[in-house]
Amino acid sequence: TISAFSESGTDSCSLRDEQRTRSVLRERYLRSLIAMSQKQVWFNMHERVRVEAKFGASDIDVLNFQVSDLQTPLGIQKEALIRCPDVISYSFEL
Amino acid sequence: VSWSGAVPPSERPGERRGAEMKKLYGEEAAKIQGMETAMQLTFDRNCDRKQPKYWPVIPLKL
Amino acid sequence: MNEWRQKNPLEWNKYVNKEVRVTASDKQQHQGWVYTVDPVSASVVLVDFQSTRKASVAVVMGHAVGEVEVLRDGDEAMAERLSAVFVPGGRQVLSQ
Repeated sequence: TISAFSESGTDSCSLRDEQRTRSVLRERYLRSLIAMSQKQVWFNMHERVRVEAKFGASDIDVLNFQVSDLQTPLGIQKEALIRCPDVISYSFEL
Repeated sequence: VSWSGAVPPSERPGERRGAEMKKLYGEEAAKIQGMETAMQLTFDRNCDRKQPKYWPVIPLKL
Repeated sequence: MNEWRQKNPLEWNKYVNKEVRVTASDKQQHQGWVYTVDPVSASVVLVDFQSTRKASVAVVMGHAVGEVEVLRDGDEAMAERLSAVFVPGGRQVLSQ
């Protein structure tokens, strides 16, 4: 969720700088999520769990990833939700 | 505009979110909100259609 | 809440277009060029260009970011290459 918002900059110019920068960073992240859809993604999770799945979508708060054909250690789960706090890192190829 | 809902206009969640977005993203707020809404719609639609279950069932990290 | 997540967008932005090595909470290290840091989750998006055509992307979730070590600065050409990497067609320029 959105929390870290610095109120220190009373100067409206630095506030605008911060807003503009936040917008560029966020837009780029959203683009990376869009680019990931329908791609094979590898997830490194807590407890040394590593799984692979086809990425579907993320919710906007980045709390859940919706994936398909999740290859779990116990077999394939056709449709799944992965909790983002369980994930340490993920990777994919463009 | 007539208002008949139980929630007073000043506390409509959509509006509050709009104000928060404006504060965070300034002039780009509408654009970011548009991209986010599209992403959330895809997520919601996929969840409705595919009924995914959490994996693992129990969170690894609480 | 770790130190990385406490940073503000201007601080995260200093890492954009730089090559870094991120140590995640599982001790794994990820090296690549920073494309962005999501201001909502503080997740770091790293791009690694192995060949001229393909790129691989690694993202370390904000809550799992440990040390972030800057290896080198990117030049203008790298900044341009990065800004095109997630744009369909690779031609469009991101609006500022």
